[in-house]
Amino acid sequence: MANHDIGITVRRGTVHALVGENGAGKSTLMKILYGMQKPDEGTITLDGEEVSLHTPADAIARGIGMVHQHFMLADNLTVLENTVLGAERLHGIGGRARARIQEISEKYGLGIRADALVEDLGVADRQRVEILKVLYRGARTLILDEPTAVLVPQEVDALFDNLRELKAEGLTVLFISHKLGEVMSVADEITVIRRGTTVETLTPERTSPRQLAELMVGSELPSPETRESTVTDVPVLRVDGLRLAATDGDGVARTVLDGVSFTIHRGEVLGIAGVEGNGQAELVEAVMGIREPESGAVELDGADLAHASTRTRREQGIGYIPEDRQRHALLLEAPLWENRILGHVTEAPNSRGRLLDPRGARRDTERIVEEYDVRTPGIDVPAASLSGGNQQKLIVGREMSHEPKLLIAAHPTRGVDVGAQAQIWDQIRQARREGLAVLLVSADLDELIGLSDTLRVMYRGALVADADPAAITPEELGSAMTGAASGHLVHEDDGPPGSGTAPLPGQRNPQADEERGTDDEGGEAR
Amino acid sequence: MRRVTKLAAAACATAALALTTTACGESSTESAAKGDKGVGLAFDVGGKDDHSFNQAANRGMLKATKELDLGNKTLTASNDETEATREQRLTQLAEAGYNPVVGVGFAYGKSINKVAKDFSDTTFAVVDAESNADNVSGLLFSEQEASYLAGVAAAKKTKTKKVGFIGGVNNALIQKFEAGFVQGVEETDSKIKLTSQYLYPTNIKGFNDPKAAKDKAKGMLDQDIDVIYSAAGQSGTGAIEEISKKKDTWAIGVDSDQYMQPGLEKYRDSILTSAVKNVDIAVYELIKSVDEGKPLHGTQNFTLKEDGVSLATSGGFIDDVQDDVAAAKKKIVSGDIKVRTSP
Amino acid sequence: MTRPAGRGSGPRRIDPQAVVQALAAPLLAIVAALAITSLVIGATGKDPFHAFQVMLDFGSKSDSQIWIVNKAIPYYLSAVAVAVGFRMNLFNIGVDGQYRIAAFAAAVVGGAVSLPGFLALPLVLLTAMVVGAVWAGIAGVLRTTRGVSEVITTIMLNSIAGSLIGYFLQEGRLAEKEGNLFHTPYLPDATRFFTLPTNPDPIYGTILIALVIGVAYWFVLGRTRFGFDLRAVGRSESAATASGVSVRRMIVTSMVLSGAVAGLVGMPTLLNESFNYGTDFPAGIGFTGIAIALLGRNHPIGMALGALLWGFLERTGTQLEFEGYAQEIVGVMQGVIVLCVVIAYEVVRRYGLRRQQREVGAELAASSGAGGEKAEVSA
Repeated sequence: MANHDIGITVRRGTVHALVGENGAGKSTLMKILYGMQKPDEGTITLDGEEVSLHTPADAIARGIGMVHQHFMLADNLTVLENTVLGAERLHGIGGRARARIQEISEKYGLGIRADALVEDLGVADRQRVEILKVLYRGARTLILDEPTAVLVPQEVDALFDNLRELKAEGLTVLFISHKLGEVMSVADEITVIRRGTTVETLTPERTSPRQLAELMVGSELPSPETRESTVTDVPVLRVDGLRLAATDGDGVARTVLDGVSFTIHRGEVLGIAGVEGNGQAELVEAVMGIREPESGAVELDGADLAHASTRTRREQGIGYIPEDRQRHALLLEAPLWENRILGHVTEAPNSRGRLLDPRGARRDTERIVEEYDVRTPGIDVPAASLSGGNQQKLIVGREMSHEPKLLIAAHPTRGVDVGAQAQIWDQIRQARREGLAVLLVSADLDELIGLSDTLRVMYRGALVADADPAAITPEELGSAMTGAASGHLVHEDDGPPGSGTAPLPGQRNPQADEERGTDDEGGEAR
Repeated sequence: MRRVTKLAAAACATAALALTTTACGESSTESAAKGDKGVGLAFDVGGKDDHSFNQAANRGMLKATKELDLGNKTLTASNDETEATREQRLTQLAEAGYNPVVGVGFAYGKSINKVAKDFSDTTFAVVDAESNADNVSGLLFSEQEASYLAGVAAAKKTKTKKVGFIGGVNNALIQKFEAGFVQGVEETDSKIKLTSQYLYPTNIKGFNDPKAAKDKAKGMLDQDIDVIYSAAGQSGTGAIEEISKKKDTWAIGVDSDQYMQPGLEKYRDSILTSAVKNVDIAVYELIKSVDEGKPLHGTQNFTLKEDGVSLATSGGFIDDVQDDVAAAKKKIVSGDIKVRTSP
Repeated sequence: MTRPAGRGSGPRRIDPQAVVQALAAPLLAIVAALAITSLVIGATGKDPFHAFQVMLDFGSKSDSQIWIVNKAIPYYLSAVAVAVGFRMNLFNIGVDGQYRIAAFAAAVVGGAVSLPGFLALPLVLLTAMVVGAVWAGIAGVLRTTRGVSEVITTIMLNSIAGSLIGYFLQEGRLAEKEGNLFHTPYLPDATRFFTLPTNPDPIYGTILIALVIGVAYWFVLGRTRFGFDLRAVGRSESAATASGVSVRRMIVTSMVLSGAVAGLVGMPTLLNESFNYGTDFPAGIGFTGIAIALLGRNHPIGMALGALLWGFLERTGTQLEFEGYAQEIVGVMQGVIVLCVVIAYEVVRRYGLRRQQREVGAELAASSGAGGEKAEVSA
């Protein structure tokens, strides 16, 4: 059982945040509240009345609505159509429904056009459509599952404004997040869950991100480690003039990578910032050989890899932590030891010649489970039964086990709890010290600033700006991500970077700034 | 999960092995009953209610068993079955003590000759295939001759000067029907446009797929074809049904006199005539010969001459062209017309 | 490795719960299938238990067993051909067309050459495999280059195969006429497969082909890099791509392999039974293979049991008809069994997954103490 002894009271007209490590039981609690899962014991009381929620329909009928982390929208339908889908009885599908949507949109300041096609909307707008959908169904209590994971800081602010509107109208918001800074800024009350139990409920005034983090992990956090720059002048990955066009659903070709060039050296972490959908995913896939670019060079350690297969690239020493681990890094139904083979089937200890070596792979899986603290009852359980953080630890362990020259890490700590996050950062830093080059793509600006030696901003398929992670704030980076700034970003008043959230990936050494000079390719504004 | 599958496999394998080893030894033949139980009839696909070929065999069998006071047992083939299954079916009948054992349809041609070797005291017969063993009687029919007459009738009755042929399966047997019909039409009126189509190239499902025949007939009707001859066993009923929906069009039945069949009563006014293959007579004759202790053996030919095949006149729709039909029949019987057996 | 970590590590020991779970699915399926079939037979006004008695008695005769084994050989090959596709999420419905056109080509080649057996047999087998592979490969290539679903193409190719055979299987083309049958010329005696001298009937020597294919299937899929790649694609195409597998090439390769195995499906009949390809050559084994692959969970031994079960049902089914039961009963049984097996395994799989998730949860919660069992949530 994932949860035992959970006690939480949410007051009407408040924003209540729920924080906890992955696997702590937040999702289970949410599922119970939304009628997707039945509790073995215990009661749910709504407005003083004890209720039993067997299906989401029950929950909706009781005025509980859920906005999932992964949007559940049909791209090829309009906002109106998406909203009324499954709720046709409420206000029909025509004029009345449209009027109701406009009304909700204006009342809560959502700013949504009923006739816009969902595929034309950005991430933030889509999220608002999800909220609208829930409100349309008459929800008085909203559950938001990690709503900020996909948003840039400016969008997060807009979302929080929306939430405050909701609160002002007397609605109740239950808000799940990892990002403690955000939680502090928007929540009226914060409940921390650890290992299936509620640890404490606090108000933001009476706590700090650091305290919250410690409550979540259950122990004192390791203090951010001061470290020497390890950047050398030995280039590991050289990408030059990478250009890629993709055809979208309507058959319209558009440029997704527009002459991307950069170099990563031994011991260097190059961070790519950008709003999702600006070509980061495509860049990663092009470097991995999953997509074939029209033109451009990719060199690893001086060897031309422009036309090499993904497998060759992996064999040559590229480790890969994909953005969507469930779809790209794991065979969910396969046991852990088979997942340990995935991506490295041609290498020891997984195979000898053309034959698999299950014994070797199993042994090495045991080692990874041990060294990387993957919490699992054994290596024969399917990957699907592990929590997100443990899945990611397994993936990191696997990729690091083949001593890569270059690690491509896309959102390595997304959806991962604080404990695992710190551990994964540690491992990346450790490997970096040993000479690993890292291409880091992340939406978590604190992570980017904390880990990177060099920062690039990607906008519409091009690297439009560069910044010194030692001297930039997430807000400044965020404005470059929306295309508002380009070229070399300079911080206005040399304040400390990345303050306000915990734990920090690490602090920077000012020397890194000088080392950056060896990079000759990127950074020019377009 | 992997270990689970392995364990499951091992457990099942052990169980299966145990079952196999304990059960070995006795053969089903050794425990078989002996004695004269009457007639064993193995139908082709479609079964005894196919309004056609199998039904005719059944009719002959019932007539004989009633008259001679014999028991009977009928088994039916299923689609997509193999030689082994047919052999098993015949073996079962012979083993159980049925005599004679009749296989209805050329599909039994090989198996009956093979199984007959194991049961030398039993008389076997097969409709539409040759005999290769002493105790096997091959009952062959000159389908092409009856089909020729059907062709004459069709040529005389068509108004649109377009006639059609639907074959169940494109095999040697059905090609005999086609060849006779084509020749009959051409030699009566060479200006008539004739369309020949088969439901399936090889699959014997063609004798058991009325829907396919229905679609084919519809296609032909849409091309203004107004007389359609279908040689497709049970499938033919589909064609007849479709043809009955359109006025002034005619279906020509096959094997049995389909006008007379209760199951097709609704459509009988569209059944011009039928190229009858008197399977019932052949089966009856065979059973009688066994009962009399003088079993037929070797290949038996049933031709127009001895009324082994004929053109039905029920309904009276071809009374007006009866002279032409009779003339053609005379020429065939006398040998003036040689009817081809393949198109 | 530094510690004998959790369950399933070190020397593998048998988890009693895993054994229960392993036996649960087949047992559940068998009980459910028997119950449903009893109801169906009962509904036809006959005694179901007598029917099972008849089946068991007749099925356990020695000649029945040999019959069943011989019948199971092509079924097994067909199931393996389908399973190769299933393992990577390809649905090769075209095994039926593949084996028929392959057997036809093999029969033509085998009937035309007169070589000593040790040359002629491999030639015939090779022809069958190559033709089957090419026929299936067409579907693979169309899928990768044009994105056409293999389900559609293989169905079409079945139909095309049937028509091609129908065209060539005529007198004066590639066939000769014998009575009312067309068939390719008989294979010379040297080009026939040996049989195992069992009593009362021989078992077809082609059972060796089935054994070799079964072992090869297990080995290639379970023990080679290639097999791992193939299964990875089957489990998650996106993850396989990211892991470095060329999914397109894998689709074509696995279709070709599936087709090559499918090519062998007709060989027991051709080389041990009919010695020619005639209009009476069995059709539909490809579809039977789909059912058996489902029944055997794509497992080499499971499928063998499935094929034997299928043969058993067919063998005893005719006996049931003989005893006055409806002929269709066996068809109903086959369908019910497949459904029950599919459902039972899914039920047990979900139960197992939940159990494992609970274990993982327990592992996580282990250090936080027992805690109260009360869960109070108020909103």
